Amino acid sequence: MIKLENVSKIYDENIKALQDISLEFKEGELVILKGVSGSGKSTILSLIAGLSKPTIGEVIVDGKKISKLPDHFAASYRRDNIGIVFQKYNLIPELTVEENVLLPLFPLNLKREIMKEKAARVLEKFTIAHKTGVMVRNLSGGEQQRVAIARANINDPKIILADEPTANLDEKLSREFIAILRELKSKKRTIVVSTHDPLFFELDFVDRVINLEHGKLL
Amino acid sequence: MSLSKLLFLVLIVSANLFAYPNYSHSLKVKKIYPMGEKIFKKRCSQVDVAAYSSYDALLSAIQKSTKCGSLKTAYQEALALYLWDHKSVKKRETNYPSLDVDHKEKCPICGMFLYKYPRWVAMIEYKDGKKYYFDGLKDMFKYYFLHPKGIENFFSRDYYTQETIPLKSAYLVLGSNVYGPMGNELIPFKDKKSAEQFLFDHKGRSIIRFKDVTKATVHKLDE
Amino acid sequence: MSKINFYLLEYAFSYIVRHKSKNIFIVTVFTLLVALLSSLFFVTSSVTHDLKERIAYKSDIFIQNYKAGMPAAINTKLLDRLLEIEGVTGGKVEVKGDYYFRAKDSNFYLYGVDAFEDQEDPLIAKLLQKYDLDDSEMLVSDNVQKIMSQAYYKEYFNFIKPDGSLQKVNIKDSFDVGERVELKNLVLLSKDTLRKIFGYRADEGSDITLSVANKNELEFISSKIRLMLPNAKVISKDELEQSYEKLFDYDNGVFLSLFIIAIFTFFIIIYDKANGLSSEEKREIGILKAIGWCVEDVLHAKFYEAALLSFFSFTLGFMIAFVYVFVLKAPLLGAIFTHENMLNIHDFTLGVHIDFSYILLIFLLSVPVYIAATLIPSWRVATLDADEVMR
Repeated sequence: MIKLENVSKIYDENIKALQDISLEFKEGELVILKGVSGSGKSTILSLIAGLSKPTIGEVIVDGKKISKLPDHFAASYRRDNIGIVFQKYNLIPELTVEENVLLPLFPLNLKREIMKEKAARVLEKFTIAHKTGVMVRNLSGGEQQRVAIARANINDPKIILADEPTANLDEKLSREFIAILRELKSKKRTIVVSTHDPLFFELDFVDRVINLEHGKLL
Repeated sequence: MSLSKLLFLVLIVSANLFAYPNYSHSLKVKKIYPMGEKIFKKRCSQVDVAAYSSYDALLSAIQKSTKCGSLKTAYQEALALYLWDHKSVKKRETNYPSLDVDHKEKCPICGMFLYKYPRWVAMIEYKDGKKYYFDGLKDMFKYYFLHPKGIENFFSRDYYTQETIPLKSAYLVLGSNVYGPMGNELIPFKDKKSAEQFLFDHKGRSIIRFKDVTKATVHKLDE
Repeated sequence: MSKINFYLLEYAFSYIVRHKSKNIFIVTVFTLLVALLSSLFFVTSSVTHDLKERIAYKSDIFIQNYKAGMPAAINTKLLDRLLEIEGVTGGKVEVKGDYYFRAKDSNFYLYGVDAFEDQEDPLIAKLLQKYDLDDSEMLVSDNVQKIMSQAYYKEYFNFIKPDGSLQKVNIKDSFDVGERVELKNLVLLSKDTLRKIFGYRADEGSDITLSVANKNELEFISSKIRLMLPNAKVISKDELEQSYEKLFDYDNGVFLSLFIIAIFTFFIIIYDKANGLSSEEKREIGILKAIGWCVEDVLHAKFYEAALLSFFSFTLGFMIAFVYVFVLKAPLLGAIFTHENMLNIHDFTLGVHIDFSYILLIFLLSVPVYIAATLIPSWRVATLDADEVMR
């Protein structure tokens, strides 16, 4: 499903975020990327999402060399196949729950009914439909989390990427998040989570844990 | 002062008192007659010029009349001159046709719309009543040479005054640096003096009369 | 991009509102600049239009005598000489001028009339048809009558002659000038009486006007007259019309100063905008890309944002200028716009006559520039790798 072939990512000041990484994620796998800040986990997610290009090597997702895709195709590929949950959620506080969840679809200019239907479906799924018309800034932390996850799932993507999803959450909300992950795993999604939250390391439904240090696999 | 000198003076003075004033033709036409006409129409329409045998008699009658007597000297003179000079002209007063064209009128020779060039309009009137309008004398003559029979009259505008004038008595200037809508033109004038002035001002080559115009004349204009 | 994407439009709108204080500043400055320049153009367009209309009332050739570079009396015999010119079809000696009434700090425009002369001005012609003025009488405009009666002159007025003695003239009647606001302080009286008031001799006048039937000859005759009268100012109707075209041209000081200031101020905004986005703004673009927007989508939304701001500001500025000039008649600042050309703005009714080429100019200089200044840095950011979002 996802392959990194001899990938290195080097930034301008010779900062080596990743050094010669080769990884493979099979379809339906739930993989944890473990390591401290700066170890390269976020970089790997960024590469998989096509948000950055490898300095050396290839990133192949679903048979496509995504680093070679022109921006337009990369964007639509991302929209249709990848859902990202950010550490800080990155929701727009002044927009409603419905609008936030539909944000990835705004450029498509679909009919109102279709948009509303898609939103309703995904909000139901993540039990936040009762707050459809509420502005995100008026929600609690946990509710915002669910909106963020709902947004990542608006297009039923095959791949879910989560970057330090529980870094700002208490234990209860963290466990809620893990429960949602379990459910997504059961739907055969490929999930990659970068985290150093120990709650993730003893989970039964995790297929693999990959350790990273200074941009190298351990 | 000696008696003879005094008598002489009285003679001169009295002679000049009511003598027919010596204004130039231009001055009379452009200033005095228009003013006199206005005075006549507005104040003194009752004056019958035919009743007087001399200019002086007319003038003194005006001065003595109640309505016109209160006018200033210059006005009285203008009125008198206007009436006196026009009494013989009155019978000859003709109304020449208007040369105003509507938006649709086109020149039969060149096809141009005539309303765009109102100053250059020329017209041939045939005996059967038909009128043809042209954008200059050149085209008018071209048409005339093609249809020379049954003409009633030719008209155009005097270049300087823009009044309608009959062309048979007009003076036409050739070779000037004033161009009409069709290029080189014959420029019409109602009298010789204005034609000569125009010839001088605008470097014209010659002045001819209507009867002198031939096909060759017109042809030469197009070279 | 044929349909408007209302979702992106809504996003753009919420984006604007989210950065309220900065955008309010931009809108305010933008609006004021547009309003200032539009006011200038409205005033000048309207005034130019009125001036051109008034040309209809003017004679074909205007001749004024000059002595030592200053206007001086003209000899009436000159008219007779000029009438000899072929092509000149009529003319008259005018006696007219301003009379300063010190007690009320007002200027009356005294115009000498002759009942038996051709009168081109329709207002004056109509009055002369209605009234017969003798040497002891005058007709005054409503405004002049008001001023005179405020000074307790109700039945007559005493003009002060140059030698200090008085000239009493009876007020026969008053008249309404209607739309002809430039004749607001008009007084009509006989030429001879006016000569006494101004101290002109019987053979003098203030200027000579001529009619030329064939406009083709106008220029030629004007040059002839200039050769004849080296000391005179000779203005033909054609030249007047041409000068009105150039009246508020680009070399007009007020126009230039305002324009330069406006461009300057505007470019400060543009510079700030084009110099890049804040890190927060960059982040937002990164997020949008991460959730599946391509560069084109980001620019589309940014375009709406810039267009909303600039169109709104432009329209608001335009409307403010419109109300200021055509409804309120440009109080306070209006006089500055016309002062340079020695025109008094109160001599004009400021009717709605807009030369749209100027408005288009302001539009093209502001709106597309602003949009470009917004799009360019956004484009730069959007094409970079948006991996900072992941950090």
